[in-house]
Amino acid sequence: MNIKNKTTMMISHAILLLLMLLTLFPIIYTFTSSFKTNMELMTEPGRLLPVDPTVENYELIWNSDGFNIGRLLWNSTYYTLINVFISVMISSMAGYVFARGEFFGKKFVFACFTALMFVKTGNITVYPQFDILNALNLNKGLWALMIIHLFGIPVVNIYLVRGFVLSLPKALDEAAQIDGCSFIGTFFKIIMPLLKPILATIAILSFNLYWNDYILPTVFTTTKPEQQTLMVGLMALKSTSGAASNWNLMMAGSVIALLPLLVAYAFGNKYFVSGLAAGAVKG
Amino acid sequence: MFKHSYDAKIPLLKRSKGMAKKRLSMNVQCYLMIALPLIGFFVFTLYPILWTFRWSVFSYNGVPSETRFIGLDNFIRMFTVDLDYWKAWLNTFKFAICKIPLEYIIAMIAALLLNQKRLKLKGMYRAVYYLPSIISAVVIGLIFSNLFGFFGLMNGILIDLGIVSEGIDWFAGKGSALAVLVISSIWNTFGVNVMYLMAAFANVPEDVYESAKLDGASSVRMFFSITLPMIAPIFQIMLLLSLIGTLSINEFILVMTGGGPGGSTMTVMAYLTQKFVPGFTSEATPALGYGCALSVVTTILFAVISFIYNAASKKMNDLY
Repeated sequence: MNIKNKTTMMISHAILLLLMLLTLFPIIYTFTSSFKTNMELMTEPGRLLPVDPTVENYELIWNSDGFNIGRLLWNSTYYTLINVFISVMISSMAGYVFARGEFFGKKFVFACFTALMFVKTGNITVYPQFDILNALNLNKGLWALMIIHLFGIPVVNIYLVRGFVLSLPKALDEAAQIDGCSFIGTFFKIIMPLLKPILATIAILSFNLYWNDYILPTVFTTTKPEQQTLMVGLMALKSTSGAASNWNLMMAGSVIALLPLLVAYAFGNKYFVSGLAAGAVKG
Repeated sequence: MFKHSYDAKIPLLKRSKGMAKKRLSMNVQCYLMIALPLIGFFVFTLYPILWTFRWSVFSYNGVPSETRFIGLDNFIRMFTVDLDYWKAWLNTFKFAICKIPLEYIIAMIAALLLNQKRLKLKGMYRAVYYLPSIISAVVIGLIFSNLFGFFGLMNGILIDLGIVSEGIDWFAGKGSALAVLVISSIWNTFGVNVMYLMAAFANVPEDVYESAKLDGASSVRMFFSITLPMIAPIFQIMLLLSLIGTLSINEFILVMTGGGPGGSTMTVMAYLTQKFVPGFTSEATPALGYGCALSVVTTILFAVISFIYNAASKKMNDLY
């Protein structure tokens, strides 16, 4: 029995370990490749470790005019951070209102917001959005996209906050309101501090989402290339470089795009997963 | 909501007036807090949807002088002339049929192994399997284009092993391009399904297994007679999410193959983006009216697919 168990464990670990290596390998290979010269990338793809490690690629992309990584990083950073802030604020307030508020048309508004998840008209809707932004004299560009996000409806996040607020004892709000706190005041003084865990989840999921965002930032920066984000710039590098001449730069760029995510994942792993679990409950 | 003890001390008349005021201010406060998404709902969501429906019956390319009402011509055109759109649907289903079963088999094996009570290092395996799903499509596109490039690692290994004498141009062949897409997208998302399945397994009560064991059931038998039926409800939701997610795959295709070779890996959503969205389309004045008609039909087809899926899974439920 004991021996049988041991062999089962060994086989299990062998399979799981293999799967883990297959999962990690492309990431590790990208890391090591970013220290290879382009020549080596093309001629000796089978080697994992570089023959003669060099940071030349990083220097190249740092100083390149076409692929201005400093600017791309800066654009990605403020685009991501501002959107994370917007996401956290909007979804926490809306989640609170739909959990605790009592107002005319609550059910109807909530149903409308939820129904949005099921309409998939695709990206052609950027045209009417452009029209509105132009009419308001807000030109295209990354900032215009952030304005759209400011007025966006993060349905899943609203559900997450709503579920969390519903699980808090109602006596908390009531006590605050007896003491003369308004409905809004109760949110900022009492409820929001208690929302920290779920807001951390939302913040990290939004960080992931907006850092990786590609299609809309591309659409909104076509006329303003100086506002391109890192993902847009990386993709432009791929599509403009002839055949395979720039692999070293692309690998180094990928590593730079990956690093913030990997760091966030290393420290906030449980928030990534708790968002998934909370989302799964809601289907 | 505010009916508390202190109400009793206020005279009746005053109280009802105060209550009304409070209710009004409650309404105002609530609407203030959801003002941004509510405005956004009308301006940036509902209006664009109505816009799409409206222009679907027009010949429209953004130039006012060329705009005219053409009734259902756009819809007739897509069913009679534009076969690329339907080819894209076919590709989308081909992709989903290749990807989903394979991904579920891998995720199921991993989750079953991880579900063993005495297994160590569970957390590490789980964290690693989930890791690729946080990486952006663009970076995945670069990583896998490199691995499967003509001078890439994959060809290097195949040549070294003597399986092929000359490198394969992965992205030039229809079958091989699809294979790269399937491999990379399974790599990307299988960890999510491992998580869902592990959560589903944890929901199966232990004593059911124990009583089955007493009755002499084998572990294979227990898997098919207990585990699978017990996780069926969660499994159905997972499958719906995978199905909709896979069918609406968009940027992944655009960054990996761009729909090539010869449009053989072009999926529906990627097709709509590449044909009509600024920054992706090659035309200066894309036929927006026609694009709207395609978007409307796509929306409806997605709704129909979800509906059929739900009806089918209800039937399945009745079988048990």
